[in-house]
Amino acid sequence: MSAWGFVSLAYGIVWGSILVYLILLKRRYASTAADLDALRSTEATSSDAKK
Amino acid sequence: MAQVAIKKRKGILGALAFVAVAIGLFWSLVIAPPDAYQGDVQRIMYLHLPSILTAYLSYFLVFIGSGMYLWKREKRDDLLAHSAAEIGVLFTALTIIEGSIWGRPTWGVWWTWDARLTLTAILLLIYVGYLMLRSLIEDENRAASAAAVLGIIGFLDIPLIHMSVYWWRTLHQPPSILRPDKAPWENVHPAMLTALAISFVGFLLLYFYLLSMRYRLGEMREEIRARRLDRGA
Amino acid sequence: MALLRESYLLLWKDLLLELRRRESLLTMFFFGTLLLFVFHFSFDLAPERVAEMAPALLWLAFLFTGTLGLAQLFQPERENHCLDALLLSPLDRGALFLAKSCLNLVLMIVVEIVVIPLFWILFNLRSWNLLPQLFLVTLLGTIGFCVLGTITSAITLRARARELLLPLVLFPLMIPVILATIRCMENVLRTGEFGDAIPWLRLLLSFDVIFLTVGVLIFDRVIEN
Repeated sequence: MSAWGFVSLAYGIVWGSILVYLILLKRRYASTAADLDALRSTEATSSDAKK
Repeated sequence: MAQVAIKKRKGILGALAFVAVAIGLFWSLVIAPPDAYQGDVQRIMYLHLPSILTAYLSYFLVFIGSGMYLWKREKRDDLLAHSAAEIGVLFTALTIIEGSIWGRPTWGVWWTWDARLTLTAILLLIYVGYLMLRSLIEDENRAASAAAVLGIIGFLDIPLIHMSVYWWRTLHQPPSILRPDKAPWENVHPAMLTALAISFVGFLLLYFYLLSMRYRLGEMREEIRARRLDRGA
Repeated sequence: MALLRESYLLLWKDLLLELRRRESLLTMFFFGTLLLFVFHFSFDLAPERVAEMAPALLWLAFLFTGTLGLAQLFQPERENHCLDALLLSPLDRGALFLAKSCLNLVLMIVVEIVVIPLFWILFNLRSWNLLPQLFLVTLLGTIGFCVLGTITSAITLRARARELLLPLVLFPLMIPVILATIRCMENVLRTGEFGDAIPWLRLLLSFDVIFLTVGVLIFDRVIEN
């Protein structure tokens, strides 16, 4: 493999992995945020109902 | 309102990180000249040094978070420790991969038990152990305490591991001429230093961006857990 | 000092328990000896090479044997809610740490006192005169192992897959001790004295002191209900 081959391999793996981690993180973030909103809104409605 | 402000700040951080990383990439791959001895392969250094430094920063944060958690028992310190450990493991793994790829054309082998690579591998083992410890203990609070103790012990052990591995490696092998860890300020073109500096800034910003997101994720999970507990009661 | 007195009391209790049942001691002892036999079959231990490999083989054997001991270290406390009782008592947790570390230390020393000469006999080594220095190194290394191992044993107490997790967490942290003891022993066997290996000895000592202190200070955070 040529010098640039190794460089692209390294840069590719590194930035590829970081990108994958970022995407996974954003996905986990979005689904957790959705769960949290759902919890918060049901709590709000149930406390409204109590009133 | 505070939530929106925080989100904005994170957005700005993310954007800054992206810009710094992009400029760093351009400088590292285009503007900086190839190394006199190693040629273009040396450009991996612009990844390698920032990654390892960021990893060490991460483990320092794990140490601080762990210490604060054992002292004050505030969940946010534990969140910091956990998030920093996770991202630290990522960067450590990347450092090893970079080191290995750099080593192949330089030394002719994919792996060597030289001090640098060995040390990084040990670090990876310790903090993967940290993450495993957390995931294998059911009770959240016990997991946090156990992990915090490990976070402190692991960090305190690092200088000892450094010393022992370096002594071990330098007693038997003469230093080779072509070493990727040759100090960059010998015989160095200023563009190379600039590339390194910008790459480092980019990595740092990216690191804090990832950390803040991971931290927020942990915060949300914690809130969900607390609310569900309240419901149950 | 109250701390030392409390540790001594706890240690004495555990030693009496151990003397009566001899569970840990016997399993550790037989396991250590068994490993020597396994090594004989696994490695090509020609007479010229045995002396070179002796430190490493011995330490491998002690690492695994010691881990056995660590896994059983808090067993008495897990039965009958003894741990809760201990925690409710006004005993300093640091005393519990010292007592448990010493317990494992005693067990390991007993095993080492037998296994090292046994190794010398089984593999026909001549350098009997060097055994005192080797014992000293082994002692320092074992102290480091027991100190860090007790902390690790305690934090993994409630984890799933504990038997796997304990060595997984402990061994990377033990690397300075492993390197230091083996290098010291190698040097002693090669040159008959510590000489160049003195820095390693100092590293071992620092390791022991650092983690002994950390253990005493931090143990009440380690053990909780």
